[in-house]
Amino acid sequence: MRTLLRKIARDRQLLILFIPCIVFYALFRYGPLYGLIIAFKDYSVYTGILDSPWVGFKHFERFFSGPDFFLLLRNTFLLGFFALICSFPFPILLAILLNEVRVRWFKKFVQTASYLPTFLSVVIISSMIIDFLSPNNGIVNKLLNLMGFESKYFLIDPAWFRPIYVLSDIWANTGYEAIIFLAAIAGINPTLYEAARVDGASRLRMMWHVTLPGLLPTILVVFILKTGSMFRVGYEKVLLLYNSMTYDVADVFSTFVYRKGLLESNYSYGAAVGLFEALVAMVMLLGANLISKRLGGKGLW
Amino acid sequence: MVGQRRFTVFGVVNALILIAVAISTLYPLLYITAVSVSDTASVTKGEVFLWPHGFNLEAYKDVLFDPKIPRAYLNTIYYTFLGTFINLLFTSVAAYPLSQPQFVGRKFWMLAIVLTMFLQPGIIPNFLIVQKLGLLDSVWALVIPNAIWTFELIILKSFYENMSAQIREAALIDGASEYRILFNIVLPLSKPALASVGLFFFIGHWNSFFLPMIYLNDQWKYPLQVVLRGMLIFHEGNSSSLVDASALAPQAKKNATIILAMIPVLLIYPFAQKYFAKGVMLGAEKG
Repeated sequence: MRTLLRKIARDRQLLILFIPCIVFYALFRYGPLYGLIIAFKDYSVYTGILDSPWVGFKHFERFFSGPDFFLLLRNTFLLGFFALICSFPFPILLAILLNEVRVRWFKKFVQTASYLPTFLSVVIISSMIIDFLSPNNGIVNKLLNLMGFESKYFLIDPAWFRPIYVLSDIWANTGYEAIIFLAAIAGINPTLYEAARVDGASRLRMMWHVTLPGLLPTILVVFILKTGSMFRVGYEKVLLLYNSMTYDVADVFSTFVYRKGLLESNYSYGAAVGLFEALVAMVMLLGANLISKRLGGKGLW
Repeated sequence: MVGQRRFTVFGVVNALILIAVAISTLYPLLYITAVSVSDTASVTKGEVFLWPHGFNLEAYKDVLFDPKIPRAYLNTIYYTFLGTFINLLFTSVAAYPLSQPQFVGRKFWMLAIVLTMFLQPGIIPNFLIVQKLGLLDSVWALVIPNAIWTFELIILKSFYENMSAQIREAALIDGASEYRILFNIVLPLSKPALASVGLFFFIGHWNSFFLPMIYLNDQWKYPLQVVLRGMLIFHEGNSSSLVDASALAPQAKKNATIILAMIPVLLIYPFAQKYFAKGVMLGAEKG
């Protein structure tokens, strides 16, 4: 106790600097965790969090037994799964191909270009998607017409929602995610390439036998961690791209919480759904980290 | 690198693939720009693919004279600068005590902070806190609840840690307080790291749409992204506009607004690219 007091006295200036941080995390990161108890209450704005009546698992029961639960679980899982599986190879491929370019300005140019979408807002990306796919003016439909096809109403066709979501993800993220693989390639021991060259390996063989194995640990860690956060679907883009015609395939937990919980002011119900989502996401992340460590790789922490 | 400049089939195919990648990311922007400076008739007839048809700046005039858009633009500038400043101040100051190995309770604080990356209770409880504090419908709702970004806090903390401890000791012996050390020595020496996280903050605030959408009610307070969403994207449940997105605003005007919204980001993009890469790598090293 005395030593603790002495330490506090010694670090008092640092502690004063640290007070805003403590207040911030207590209020805005742990405070909402306290607010989560409304998932077990019938919260209303007038009674407040403390005075609202406890209702146990009522909201959870309602959610799990209703038709929405299975739909949301399936959509969240499938969107996350497809986005992960389909887009995962592209940054790796891009990094390997960029690494093979010997002309520096060209390499730089391609990298800079591929990187651009990272800086665009989800609103702008979504509005581009909507514009390009518009049945009257959209460039995609103009091309289809030129080739003799009818215009398609992509955004109200449930069959197209997932492909559109996944393709735009690939477009937006590939360049950015390639950085980490490029850095990993830069870390591969150059003598390995020398040895391979002496052995008469072609560029393709070096890619296959040197670059790819050198990348494997990074690939594994990134893949596992991405699996862990698979459940955190980019709900902002879903929110911008979906509509009443595509709810059945597009609605995910977060968008549902926003619609039912916030827009319709069912705070307790929304909080219950949000809590369930957070728990699943956390379990997946912890599991992924555990697997990553077991496999001898590095974990997130 | 040396003596390897032969043209091979592989090299050519590789170059072609990469050119295709570059085109696919650049083309949408060129197309949007072309439409924004073309006349409406040519756009509707579908004559614009890459080059503008009937060059004019009508669309930009429309945007500037629409009372909503310049206002939203100013709002975005205000929110972005205020937000970035608050983020930089709070995050960089919070990171300093944590970077000191002897700081009392350091392990505990770090654990408590990192834990919040996993415990994310969702939209509703966050909304209730903001509402309780009476921040709704004000810029503070966008700024205060996100004053510290955890990931950036960790980046800055590791940056400070790599700074020589001797500088600090020398200053302490000369009788400097921790405040002086932080503001007169540590922060000036951290300019590259601050620039890097500052860009994350800037772009984050500039592009933010979800928080302003749920926290602001007054239309005059909307930032650009929220106004853009109203202009460009059909409203939920309004199925008449689903069929034709152009029913909301003329194509050229929409695209002109998109371009204007992108300009600041595109201007800092060359710098951002450099620093983003650094930030990503710093983050990855933590792994």
